[in-house]
Amino acid sequence: MITININEKEIRLDKPVTVLEAARTAGIKIPTLCAHELLEAYGGCRLCVVEVERMLKLQTACTLIAADGMVIRTKSEAISNARRSILEFLLINHPLDCPVCDKAGECELQDLVNKYGATAGRFKEEKRKVPESHEDRIFTRNMERCVLCTRCVRMCNDVQGASAINIVGRGGRSRMEPFSPTSFNCEYCGNCLTVCPVGAILSRPHLHSLRPWQIDKEVETICPYCGVGCSFVVQVRDESIKRVIPRFGFGLNNGLLCSRGRFGYEVTGSQERIKVPLVRIDGKLHQSTWDYALNLIADKLKDIRDTHGGSAIAGIASPRCTNEDNYVFQKFMRMACKTNNIDSISRIGFASAQRYFEDLLGQGITANIILGLKNSDIILVLGGDPTAVNPILGLSIRAAARNGTKIAVIGNAKGLERFKTLRIVPDIFKEAEVLEYLLTEIFRAKGLRGEKPALDRKIEGLSGKSLKIDIAGLAELKDVLLSGGSVSIVLGMDVVHRSRGHRILFAVAGITYLLEARLYLLSESSNEQGLIDMGCVPDMLPGGRPLVVGDFKKRFETVWKGTIPEKGGLTLMEIIEATKDKKIKVLYVMGENPVFNLPNTSYVKEALKSLDFLVVQDIFLTETAELADVVLPASGWSEKDGTYTNLERRIQLLRKAVNTPSSADDWRTISEISSKMGYEMHYPRAEDIMEEIATVSPLYKDLTYDEIEKGNCLWPYNGEPLRGVVSEIPAAEETFREYKEGLYLAPEKILFHSGTLSRRALALRKICPEPTLKIGTNHAEKLGLKEGDNVSVSTAQGSINVQVSIDTAIKDNKVLLGNNFEGRGVFSLLNYEIDPITKVPGIEGCEVTIEKI
Amino acid sequence: MFKETILKEIDDIKARYPDPKSALLPTLYIAQREFGWLSHEAMHVVAQSLNLPEAMVRGTASFYTMFKHKPMGRHLIQLCTNVSCMILGAERLVDFLKNRYSLEPNITTTDRRFSLVIMECIGACDRGPAMLVNTDFHDSLTEERIEEILEKYK
Repeated sequence: MITININEKEIRLDKPVTVLEAARTAGIKIPTLCAHELLEAYGGCRLCVVEVERMLKLQTACTLIAADGMVIRTKSEAISNARRSILEFLLINHPLDCPVCDKAGECELQDLVNKYGATAGRFKEEKRKVPESHEDRIFTRNMERCVLCTRCVRMCNDVQGASAINIVGRGGRSRMEPFSPTSFNCEYCGNCLTVCPVGAILSRPHLHSLRPWQIDKEVETICPYCGVGCSFVVQVRDESIKRVIPRFGFGLNNGLLCSRGRFGYEVTGSQERIKVPLVRIDGKLHQSTWDYALNLIADKLKDIRDTHGGSAIAGIASPRCTNEDNYVFQKFMRMACKTNNIDSISRIGFASAQRYFEDLLGQGITANIILGLKNSDIILVLGGDPTAVNPILGLSIRAAARNGTKIAVIGNAKGLERFKTLRIVPDIFKEAEVLEYLLTEIFRAKGLRGEKPALDRKIEGLSGKSLKIDIAGLAELKDVLLSGGSVSIVLGMDVVHRSRGHRILFAVAGITYLLEARLYLLSESSNEQGLIDMGCVPDMLPGGRPLVVGDFKKRFETVWKGTIPEKGGLTLMEIIEATKDKKIKVLYVMGENPVFNLPNTSYVKEALKSLDFLVVQDIFLTETAELADVVLPASGWSEKDGTYTNLERRIQLLRKAVNTPSSADDWRTISEISSKMGYEMHYPRAEDIMEEIATVSPLYKDLTYDEIEKGNCLWPYNGEPLRGVVSEIPAAEETFREYKEGLYLAPEKILFHSGTLSRRALALRKICPEPTLKIGTNHAEKLGLKEGDNVSVSTAQGSINVQVSIDTAIKDNKVLLGNNFEGRGVFSLLNYEIDPITKVPGIEGCEVTIEKI
Repeated sequence: MFKETILKEIDDIKARYPDPKSALLPTLYIAQREFGWLSHEAMHVVAQSLNLPEAMVRGTASFYTMFKHKPMGRHLIQLCTNVSCMILGAERLVDFLKNRYSLEPNITTTDRRFSLVIMECIGACDRGPAMLVNTDFHDSLTEERIEEILEKYK
């Protein structure tokens, strides 16, 4: 126990901390410029000077570790004089252009000068002149205002790990600059913006558009983009979101944001939003009224249900909608439409992988805390770049690497290039072999665990096969995994959407099981986990309760007052194929764009065209909505209350920030249609839906909004996870595939965009305006391609023109393209083959020709 | 990118330190030797070969005056004009270089033979004026002597 005395106040400390921290915990304020709670102590600005008895000079509180018996004063004439002088020095070069500076009103220098004086310097010398730089797409740099606290540089290096900026020059000529003095060319997380105490780095999208005191309200909510579910605050004025700001010390992101979270909020404020229901008359979509549109849908659905049965109806739910939306949606499909044909785009990865792992290893196996990554000794990353798919989770991996955790990458994870301990690149589409090799090696070294007989049998069976693999680094990777430390496995979906993806999933499950590892699944959308928990899957009721178990079904039927159809439903691609075969006649799509987001888009488009009736509920007129018979305007993320469940199964509150009278909450629209069809659903508020979920779902038992608001509502909340025992692990017939030397096209998840949603975020389009084809250095050289060349990318499915970007991290013969931009999505060029076990549309072996144009 | 032999040299330097960061200054010297000056491309190549962030390489390189941040002539003259050398006539030598070779501080001659940088004290105050030509040290300079010395650098 350390006892110190600050301003006559006795403070007891459990462990040695800095005087600054001790003062903060005791509620004593010490002014700082260079110190920041997320950054290491720096001792650069000297503003935090304090008097310490028996120490000759003033001491900087941020670097001084409190020792037992210290007597400290934070206020005295000498301290005030020192602070005034420091500020006067800072003002030598500061331009004092507060009236035109966007930071005014939230500027730390302004506040300090206001408090301690020295409003102008006595120095007569010319102030340093550095022209303001507007050359970057997003950031404005004003190095006259900079006080060289280096918070931005330390944030970028030590926390974000992008290391895109640094102090350049020395002495009086020091300034912060990115590598290219003009463009930042970085991850555009903007975390430098939030730590800059002055107006030296500003966001161009917000320049001269906002004063901090003009904000009407601030609403704490959850980011709509990826499955991490970061907390942030939206600032609203005139019913429009003006800015997203982080809240330090809050939420699992603790104030850090990524480019999508910070700059992607503009989507819901877009002018292109659908404002009224649209109904197809004579082949064209016409504006209509809510009453007409809803009656039309209800009548059509009732008609098809009664004449062809529920199996002629299918629904596609959305991982971007809230738990409440999805719960009501599946209840509507099951009870009103009498079908279990419910699935979502998550089938392509997350939902399938999660289901596979839960079947083998038990429910909740993927529900691991993101912060726990930092405590792992070894992190194995495969199937994607965590820093692009789930950037804030990626930061945890980078932080772990800095603390000595070994990072092993299989395949390509560009954002971890500088953080990895080792990386192996399997032959193209041969990850399964590598993982099976690792699994058998681990089995040979450690033996079986004997807890899950079916799993044990299959692992033993695998080890009988003789595997000959010769890949650089594989032996080292095996040794690292067997070195005895705690292992976390971060699995991206690139290895799940394969035609034999279940082999990879089994090997990962086996490794997880034998090493008792923690498993994390990367999740591209905000509510993929919630979607599954809510029962938007063809064979599960809410809470992950299998439809085939009669007891569960009866329990739901009692509460829902009706019968749930016996027959399990079709999965996503089966729905599309059944649509093509005219077995499904009506498709209800909530917040999804299958025409763009599924492989073999031309086939999907043909399938949807052959429907009798297509309903799309969305915020934009998407490629799918253009084919619909009725399009209903939906509320966007910032316009509704509800909950999201993130990839670690944390349930968090989404709060309504703006009002838009022209659209309706998805759940409200659906309950109205349901009631019109004779199955009554009445929920006054989203909270009432959660109340029902908390009674029926065994995982969300007794959950209330009040509880969620308090934070830390992690699954299973008061509930019981299901413990099943698998007796047999399904396997499919093996087919041997040989891949030639050519180039193969694969989808890429890029950092700056998310699906098709971010298309309407102007700032994100500024950062990344064009789709680019990523190609490795070797292949680019062979084809004579340079950065920025225009090429045509052709496969058996079609051809599109894009720019080339050379990526040094790509070491195999894959070329990557994202699926984000209008008419130029990678899925339009890819075909698929359904994995017989997971039902994932497998994308592999798609040969591609690249020609310069 | 660097040639194979140079990469080998850098690997040897890297092997001396536990952290590749420590190899940065020696590698920057190699880059300067190979490319003549530290262009953006040169710093990019250094960053790549050490797997360090480019911005950090540039930040470090820009701190030191012994790195060339713009193209220079074949021979770099660094002349001291601090107090001792100044008293002993260094400023006359600056004028002489201007008249004789059209060489001014921070300028490269049009034939790219010489670049001149005025530098701070090089510790030869007892034998000033002093200068460095590339890495060769010369002291007790006079107009005649400086011409004689520079004739050796073509």
